[in-house]
Amino acid sequence: MQSQTTQIAILVGISTLIFLLMPVFLIFYIKISIKYRKNHILEKTAIKQKFESEMLQTRVEVQDQTMQSIATELHDNVGQLLSLTTLTLNSVNLNDGEKARNKIDNSLALVNKSIKELRELAKLLHGEQLVENGIGHAIDQEINWLNKAGSYKLKVNNQLIDLQITSPNKDLIILRLLQEIINNIIKHAQATYIQIDSHLADHILHLRVAENGIGFNPEEPKSKKSGMGLNSIYKRIEMINGKLILNSTPGEGTSISIEVPYP
Amino acid sequence: MIKIIDPVTSVELVCLIIAIFFLSKDKQSFWTITLAYLAFVCCTEYFGQYIGAKYKNNLWVYNVFVFFEAGFISYGLYNCFKKYINPKPIFLISSIIIYTTYFAVFIKNGVFAFNSITVSVMSVIFVLYCLYYYYLLLRDEHLLDITYHSEFWWLTAVLFFYFGSTTSNLFFGLFKSIKIGPYPLTYAIYILLNWILYGLWAYSFICRAKQRKLQS
Repeated sequence: MQSQTTQIAILVGISTLIFLLMPVFLIFYIKISIKYRKNHILEKTAIKQKFESEMLQTRVEVQDQTMQSIATELHDNVGQLLSLTTLTLNSVNLNDGEKARNKIDNSLALVNKSIKELRELAKLLHGEQLVENGIGHAIDQEINWLNKAGSYKLKVNNQLIDLQITSPNKDLIILRLLQEIINNIIKHAQATYIQIDSHLADHILHLRVAENGIGFNPEEPKSKKSGMGLNSIYKRIEMINGKLILNSTPGEGTSISIEVPYP
Repeated sequence: MIKIIDPVTSVELVCLIIAIFFLSKDKQSFWTITLAYLAFVCCTEYFGQYIGAKYKNNLWVYNVFVFFEAGFISYGLYNCFKKYINPKPIFLISSIIIYTTYFAVFIKNGVFAFNSITVSVMSVIFVLYCLYYYYLLLRDEHLLDITYHSEFWWLTAVLFFYFGSTTSNLFFGLFKSIKIGPYPLTYAIYILLNWILYGLWAYSFICRAKQRKLQS
């Protein structure tokens, strides 16, 4: 009887302990769960902040690129035209009516050309807002400026001009990526021919830039960490869940294909 | 003979002292009522001892106490729930169940038999409420720092006490005869549960004072 009583006492003691342990586990579970959720929220906030900061950086870079183009244009083109106009007008001899008329006509033509160039520049100034008109227009504007330089033979197939859908953040990043790729071609590729294709298929935006420059070993810039331009391109493409395919062989040119879920 | 200090009354007294120290300036009605309830608990203990010493059976004192205990714990849980849901309907139903059981057992067994059925019923209800509160807490978008959350620890104390006492409540009559040292087994469990309940409540009072200080 005594041993049975002891057994019951032990049983009650153990069951009470088990009943007490359950709330302990619950408290731990709640604490861990809240901690996990807090960390998750912090991570999400950090990712959002990083994205916003990258967007800001991209916006600044696009502005910088625009300013650089304007400065180059003013110096190399409009500045030269106006200097020539000044020289021509200075050399006008009013006593020689026929020659003076020719020189004034030439000056007028130069001033008209300057005005036309300035109008083009004004369009570029609006280039920052160009993404608001759609990525197709922004790509077109970028190609126009490349074409104006006259250093490259271009083949363009831009099917995004009439695109009705937009994604402002992605548009800005895609435009910046294109600027970065073109910059790399101008600085390093020594190319004479550039082909640009863009289209949208199955909610994926495709952009392909190929050139016939000196090419490079694609593994090298990554391992040396010297290719800041390419690193920046890879980082941006990851940010918009895109994919970048780079094909390059030394001496045979380079092609870069970008695929971005769109919009 | 009345014992001023025994394992149960000592922890109740300590908890009351901590409550006076940390809650006496609190303007929120729940914490003021908590302070009054703790004073009532201590008075009941000593009165119960006095009646026990004089008339042998003091169970009617604890039966009366159960009436107020059910009311106070329900009010406390109601106070915790109102941040998340409108708790009036569910608390109205649970109060009806508890007090109907209380009076039914009271009429059937009389005042001198301990109302253990009501205690069992209210234990089950309070445990379910506590688990529901945890569910609401986890589902809520505002993440609390539970380490210093006074209401969380007040409610957790309730969960420990009523969940832990389930076994003793179910076999109340059987375990009175089994002894651990000088105390019956149920009493030993009761001491342990009281230490947990009043210990966690004392901690919740400290958290409340800290919270009040931060808000001011």
